[in-house]
Order: sequence, then structure tokens, then C-alpha cells
Amino acid sequence: MEAQRRERSARLTRVGLILPAILLTILFLYYPLVFIFRMSFTVADSFLSPSGPVFTIDNYKAMTDRYLPNVLVTIKLAGLSTLVNLIFGFPFAYILVRKVRYRDVVRGFMVFPMFGALYVAFGMRFILLPGGIATPLLQALGVENTQALYSLPSVVFAMSIFTFPFMVMNIGTALSNVDPTLEEAAACLGARPLQTFGRVLLPLTRSGIIAGALMVFGWNVGTFAEPLLLGSINEQRSLAWTLYQRGVVQTDYGLSTTMGVVLLILAFTVTYFSLRYSRGALLE
Amino acid sequence: MSRVFNSRRLGDIFSHVYIWVCLIIFVTPFLALLGYSFTGPQGSYAIQNFQYVFGSFRNNLVWSFKISVLTLLIDLLVALPASYALVRYPLRGKQILFSALTLPLYVPGAVIGIALVLTYNFTYHLTTSIWGLVLAMAVGTFPLMLTPLVVALKDLPIVFEEAAQCLGATKWQTYWKVVFPLIGPGISAGLLLSFIIVFNEYLVTLFVHPPGLTTAPLRVFNLVRTAGLLPTTAALAVTMQLISFVAVLAFFRIFGTRYLKGTYLI
Repeated sequence: MEAQRRERSARLTRVGLILPAILLTILFLYYPLVFIFRMSFTVADSFLSPSGPVFTIDNYKAMTDRYLPNVLVTIKLAGLSTLVNLIFGFPFAYILVRKVRYRDVVRGFMVFPMFGALYVAFGMRFILLPGGIATPLLQALGVENTQALYSLPSVVFAMSIFTFPFMVMNIGTALSNVDPTLEEAAACLGARPLQTFGRVLLPLTRSGIIAGALMVFGWNVGTFAEPLLLGSINEQRSLAWTLYQRGVVQTDYGLSTTMGVVLLILAFTVTYFSLRYSRGALLE
Repeated sequence: MSRVFNSRRLGDIFSHVYIWVCLIIFVTPFLALLGYSFTGPQGSYAIQNFQYVFGSFRNNLVWSFKISVLTLLIDLLVALPASYALVRYPLRGKQILFSALTLPLYVPGAVIGIALVLTYNFTYHLTTSIWGLVLAMAVGTFPLMLTPLVVALKDLPIVFEEAAQCLGATKWQTYWKVVFPLIGPGISAGLLLSFIIVFNEYLVTLFVHPPGLTTAPLRVFNLVRTAGLLPTTAALAVTMQLISFVAVLAFFRIFGTRYLKGTYLI
């Protein structure tokens, strides 16, 4: 009897300890997400009308008819910045893990992009403006300032700077678990550097690379400030920005929540795989 | 022999040059803003820009600090017990629970924003209270608090708690006198990460801020959009980044970087 009572109180403690966290996430994340999912099947702002919501799937039709370019450009921006991060991030992580002793200095520098895409985009905009410090460089390349400012490359560049640390972190963690003697062994057996990379390093760090790429993609899918400050309104219209315009400025809740759902699906499909590759083992 | 040595040497030099070029690119946007924030209307040095930050933008900075402190408190209150339960007690579906709790980190800010502003409007009626904003920040950042705590607790051998209890300490005493001090660095890591994010958050804030309340990053965003590029705006952005950077440096000096393991700050 006594043992049973104690068992019960222990279980209550356990649940009680974790309950605030569960409540917070359900009330302020999962319920709102369900809420907008339901709302995405209603006409404009009919959700609030006294006569009850009017259900429809027109919003999803509009997504494929009119807003497909927005979806595609969002995927394109996130994909390109992921690619840039991969190409420049792997060598960076490799050198950082294998050769650099002043790692804390590197970490100090690397926190700056993490303070937010807003500051990165703001700074880049200032650099690229006519008369900005990038002018000589751009002139040498034969590009006009305004051409560079409102263009795809500058948006992708800013997005890549913002997420570069995440990529380096993921690849670096994977690389530091690879014994350097394996590379030496490969070299001793006559492998050229490129072969060592392709046959030894790449397979051993695959999970880190995939996790990093997915994480970066997932973060950049929600890009907001970079296309707004560095892109042209007509071409780099990201989903997040259109969602804000539609929802908050024009109060077309049906359509804007549909964009939210699409964005969420984009981010979550990659996050699902990302969690499987990176954090899955934390509680084992 | 000497050719091999030379090419290796060259590779090393190239490696370090690569690292430094990347690092310089990272700080260039910040440095450009820093330089710009010192320019005046006549192109002269203008320290007035920074006086402006603590004059006209003071309210925004104060709001940012208030929101950050409240959010960090809620994060702590929620994450401390949750991490202990997750690590020390057998729970069914622990792995799934942990994933479900950390998922908010991966929801794009604009989606959290639109979802919360609509539920605040129509269900919770929180649109005019600062708690709406604070709770929105808390749900987005508490995974950042939870992860370092879980790592710290997992690294802490259970013998300390067993010893304390053998000596007659209650569970409550054991936690506050033994466990809490020992996971101090983990707690600080969580506080640092959450602070950096909340203090510089503008996107969710843009959606859910109560009328009349503008945090400093949101002010930067609004000014860049409406007023173009002003040296005073640059000064505000620089101030925000410097405050965040000082927080990071202080953490590095006191605790080193190893407690940030498992989180996304390397």
C-alpha cells in the first residue's frame, strides 16, 4: 500500500516537472499551428464572421496558380545558399579542425553573423550602395552598384553569411570524430588528396554534411530581411515576406495562413531528416 | 624533400589565409555599419549618433532588455525542471518528447508570427499585453535553454545526488545545493544563447508586438524600411551587436567554449 502510494507520487512529480514545458509548447506552438492549418481552408477573413467560417480549398489552388513563383524562388534561394555554404564550409571546417590553434578567435568572429540576418542584410546594403566600400571591387568586376544591390547573388551571399556558422558547426563536429591517422594511412597507401577526400573523408563525415545542409536549408527557407533589403521586390519575393504582406497588411488570413502551412511543410520535411542525422543521439 | 616541405608550407599558408578571408567577410557588414555610424551630416565624425541611441532610441533599448529578462526567466522556470525530468527519470517516449519540445527552433519565424498573432487575436486575447510577446519569445528560445541543460545533466555523475541523499538531504535540498551549482555552466550557456536570440529578434516581434511597444531590433527594421539608411540607425544596430558580443566574450572568458557543445554555437 505504502509502496504503491510512493510510486504514484513519484510519477506525479515526474509529470509535474515536465508539464510546464509541454504546456508552453502546446499552447504557444502546436495549438496555434493547428489553428492556422484550419484557417488555411477558409475564405479570406470569413473565419471571424458571425455566420461562421466558409470552408474552401481555393487558397491552396491559389498557391499553385498564382504563388508558385514565390514558392520556387524561396526554395531556390535556400538551395543556393545551402550550396554556397557547403562548398565554402567544408574546407573551412576541415582547416579549423585540423590546422587552427586559435579556435577561440575564430569562434569570436563567427558569432557576428548569428546576431541576426537583419544586421547582415543592413550592413551588406550599406556596403553595396553607390559610394559604399564595395564600389572599387564592383568597378573592377564591371558591375554597377545598383545592379549588384538588387540582385539574386547579393541575397544569396547575405543568406550564406548568416547560416555559415551552422554549417561549419555540423561538419566540424563530424570531422573532429574522424581520426587524422586515417588520412595519413590513405596517403601512405598512395591515395592522392582528392581520392582521400572522396573515399575516406566524405563517407565518414556524411551524416554531419547532410545534417548541416538540411539545417541551413531549413533556416533559410524562412528568409525575410535579406530579400527585402537586398533583392528586388519583383524577383526575390520570398514566401515569408508575402505571408506578412498578405496576413498583416492586407488581412487576407486564409491565403496568408496557407503560405504559413506551405512554409512549415518545406521547413519540416528537411528538419525531420536533419533531426534524424544530428540530434537524435543526444538522449540515448 | 625540400619541395615537399615547401608545397606543404604553401598549403598551410593558404589554409590560414582562407580562414582569415572568411572571418573578415563575416565581420565586414558589422564593420561597415560601425564606420557608417560615425559619420555625420557633413561627413565629420559624429558622436551625436550614439547620443541619439541613448536619447531617442532609449525606450526601444529598455524594452529589449525588459523582454529579454522576462523571457529568460520563463525559459529557466520551464527548462530547469523539464531537463531534470528528461535526464533523471524514466519516461516513456522520451526521445519523441524531446524532439517535440525542441521543434519550435525549426519553425520559421514568420510562421510562428502569423500563427501567434491570429491565436492572440481570436482565442487568447493577448494582443495588447507584453506577456504575449514574452511567451512568443519563450516558446521559440526555450529549446536553446533545454539542450545545454540536458547535456550538462547527462555529464553530471549521479553519485553526487546519491551522496547528498545518503547524508539526509531532501530532494529539494539536493537539487538546489548540489545539482544546481554543478550545472551552472550549462545554465549560463542556455542563458547566453537565449539572450542573443531574444535580444536581436525582430521577425516574430514584428507580428506580435503590442501596439506602442517597439523593441530595438524592430526599430532598426522599421527605420531601414521606411527611412532608408541613416547613420543613427546604423548606430543602434552597432550598439545591439556590441552588447551581444560583450555577452558572448564574457561567457567565453568565464566558462570557455566547451559548455556550448550540442548547441548551435559550436
